[in-house]
Amino acid sequence: MSASNDNAGHGHTASGHDAHGHGELQMGHHHVSSSAMFLNVLIALLILTAITVGASRIDFGSANLLIAMAIASVKASLVIAFFMHVKWDTAINKIVFLSSFLFLSLLFIFTLADQATRRMDDQALTTKTPVDKQWVHPSTLAEQKQ
Amino acid sequence: MSHDGHHSVVIPAPGPEFQSHTVAHHFDTPVQEFQSAKLGFWLFLATEILLFGGLFAAYFYYHQMYHETFHLGGQQLDWWLGALNTSVLLLSSWTMAMGVRSAQTSQKGKLLMYCGLTVLGAVIFLVIKFFEYKAKNEHGLIEFAHLFDGYNGATGQLSWFTDHDGVMAGVPHGHLFFAIYLTMTAIHGLHVIIGAGLIVWIMKGAAKGRFHAGYYLPVDLVGLYWHLVDLIWIFLFPLLYLVS
Amino acid sequence: MTTNVPAVDTHVAEPTSGRKNFLNCSSGFMSWAGTLDHKRIGLMYLVGVSIAFLCGGLFALLVRLHLWSPEGALFANADYNQIFTLHGAFMVFLFVIPAIPGSLGNMVLPLMLGAKDVALPRLNLLSFYLWCSGAVMATLAIILGGFDTGWTFYAPYSIYTDKAVVSIGLGIFLLGFSSIFTGLNFIVTVHKLRAPGLTWFRMPLFVWALYATSILQVLATPVLGITVLLVAFERLYNIGIFDPRLGGDPVLFEHFFWFYSHPAVYIMVLPAFGIVSELVSVHSRKPLFGYKLIAFSSLAIAIISFLVWGHHMFTSGQSTYAMFAFSFLTFFVAIPTAIKEFSWVATIWKGSIALNSPMLYTLAFLIIFAIGGLTGVILGALNVDIHLHDTYFVVAHFHYVMMGSIALAFFAGLHHWWPKMFGVMYNETLAKIACGIIFIGFNTTFLPQFIMGSRGMPRRYATYVPEYAPYHHASTIGAVILGLGIALMVYYLVASLFSGKRAMQNQWGGVTLDWHTPTPPPLENFDHSPSVTTEVYDYSVLDLETTRTPAS
Repeated sequence: MSASNDNAGHGHTASGHDAHGHGELQMGHHHVSSSAMFLNVLIALLILTAITVGASRIDFGSANLLIAMAIASVKASLVIAFFMHVKWDTAINKIVFLSSFLFLSLLFIFTLADQATRRMDDQALTTKTPVDKQWVHPSTLAEQKQ
Repeated sequence: MSHDGHHSVVIPAPGPEFQSHTVAHHFDTPVQEFQSAKLGFWLFLATEILLFGGLFAAYFYYHQMYHETFHLGGQQLDWWLGALNTSVLLLSSWTMAMGVRSAQTSQKGKLLMYCGLTVLGAVIFLVIKFFEYKAKNEHGLIEFAHLFDGYNGATGQLSWFTDHDGVMAGVPHGHLFFAIYLTMTAIHGLHVIIGAGLIVWIMKGAAKGRFHAGYYLPVDLVGLYWHLVDLIWIFLFPLLYLVS
Repeated sequence: MTTNVPAVDTHVAEPTSGRKNFLNCSSGFMSWAGTLDHKRIGLMYLVGVSIAFLCGGLFALLVRLHLWSPEGALFANADYNQIFTLHGAFMVFLFVIPAIPGSLGNMVLPLMLGAKDVALPRLNLLSFYLWCSGAVMATLAIILGGFDTGWTFYAPYSIYTDKAVVSIGLGIFLLGFSSIFTGLNFIVTVHKLRAPGLTWFRMPLFVWALYATSILQVLATPVLGITVLLVAFERLYNIGIFDPRLGGDPVLFEHFFWFYSHPAVYIMVLPAFGIVSELVSVHSRKPLFGYKLIAFSSLAIAIISFLVWGHHMFTSGQSTYAMFAFSFLTFFVAIPTAIKEFSWVATIWKGSIALNSPMLYTLAFLIIFAIGGLTGVILGALNVDIHLHDTYFVVAHFHYVMMGSIALAFFAGLHHWWPKMFGVMYNETLAKIACGIIFIGFNTTFLPQFIMGSRGMPRRYATYVPEYAPYHHASTIGAVILGLGIALMVYYLVASLFSGKRAMQNQWGGVTLDWHTPTPPPLENFDHSPSVTTEVYDYSVLDLETTRTPAS
């Protein structure tokens, strides 16, 4: 919430505002990236796609999902930082976009934690009347225990 | 227009083939207008992330609950087509980024070309997606003709999931993977269609010379939208196609 | 006039009568239906949410009248299910969530910031029409057979019932995006359109509250959107993720639903806090005690509200470990909330209190909210909640917050800005009487519900055992009194538009920017763009002449 680029009050002029030197009658804040940089990002993204496919062919057990998500996150970061220009965007725009991921992670953490620890509840309850290894619908668990 | 002699701010056109832009009356400067619209659009993109986030949460929830189902389900998808579509979207994201760059540098012809290529990418993506859906339809994993015929509680038969090859027989609730696959890719596909429509609209404006170094805001915003569509696919691809 | 006051010397520069304002600058249907002016959009919202409130109130009266006798006085049980669902859905989605931001927020926020309009006026009009289409879908759902799921739409019942769930679901999707766009607009407006000199800590607290609300609207509402879509998909093509027959888990629905709907409680209540913060200061003519504490507590509530949704699910089959965490985190909400309540009381302390009708409504809020808030702490305790879950204790608790606190704060704000919006004053005597009737009626309705809830009366039942009859009788009598009070309020407010006395330019002696523009405000709000050089709520700069000059 710094006043410098956040508080665009009525009195501001365009030119007093931006390091990229443009006239008052322009929109401000346009960072023009070089074509070469865009091409490099594209190549990196395509290589990472190949890597993620390759990694999925190898069996790392339960780590496969984590590896795939890690590579996807790197790819997403490249798209966000360069294609979406977030690297050069204002602080508030960065905060807004990144906070959406932060709050989304709350949804993930609590729902998945509930689901995972519920199974711990189930196991604690089923040790006395062991169910065979066949898959059992959760709603029928209660009946089986009786 | 108002009492104190306030008059509108006009951004002049950089050349005869371009149009000038008038800043909306309630803004004092073009910077204010640009930043307001941009902040608003980032907030909108945040809502899109959270909207899709609900679907991703459902995916992880059931992946955790029935992981054999998701592993076997992922094997039924054609990872090669998925990878191809990923590359198509990445390429189209690049052409869009180049399109925005062309608008920033007042290159009208290049802007039109890159936008056209992006739309082409969208079309190729949708065609490949169509053939994927078609294959699922043929294997009885998603029978589109019977999509809305409901669930028969007595027989336990779901109308759109017959699985007549029995590929998902060994795992519980095989349809869940395909239900989530269909829902996520269909909503994503809808975004592809909307994005392509917006880019066509940008092309119409670009042909008239509305966008140039002084004013390229709509190009920038539509570009952000298109990158978001790409961003979501970057996560969808490994989760759906590579979980096996 | 001191040099400190923003340079809008309304009473000197212009003749006070006959000047154009936003109400009479243009006329005709399209000048309203197609307007981009935030004040006109705010007024259209006011009309819309008022109609929704009166409909919801009518359903509430029907519920209470039905419960006069233990076997149910008016309806078949199935019809009763529809009536209380309609009451809940109308009140929550069509009234409480959009009411304060849509009407008063739209009207006042740009004025308080010294802006000509909200940052995105077209989007503002779009969110109003999204609200309208949501209302149409809700009405359509009634025509198509109604819905009987309760306002929470819990799966799997919402999947199995043969009522018009898809229609109301799409209605809620549209209403959700209406709410999102309002919040988005306010965030951008606060960031980008503040008058020169109006720093973050010079903003009125109503603006801070709306800003915190907007964060919640933008970040939480999309999850509700996808949730109602998924319920619609369940009904259309049996996606199965909420349907236990197909391996789905209905508890996931509750997670999704409350991820939105718990923050939504604060989407509803934070703007009410904002109004109360304004009013205790203006009507005590004293700077707010703990300005920064109140401002930051709004943000703190917004953040914490994302961490506690599981306390709605203590009997859902959620894991015990998650319940411990959610119950523990819930108590943290009480801290910033109590900070606010104490700050308001400390503001009034030794102030120059004017018992105008807006202040009376505010004082009623302070009493009722203390009860509503503290019973919330009781319900947050895991073991107590297992007993009280889905009883009338819960019903009484959230009505003390939603009706008693939020609606009363809305009324307070309405009475406070009514002279600003229309340039006329309602009948103050009737207003004070109505406030008293509403306060008595409200408490008579809901205090007995705490008692019968703690004794085990379940909510949403069409019939009950005769032992609960005395409580239900008291509650129904209270509801009728409450209804009469609200009818009186509607009467004198509407009557004031036709025969009300001229209000003053600055009716209550406020010093925020909304009182530094002519009353009613002109189309672009300020004759000269204001700039701010003084701290907020500094009553030493108040020009008393403006409180004696009639509105134009």
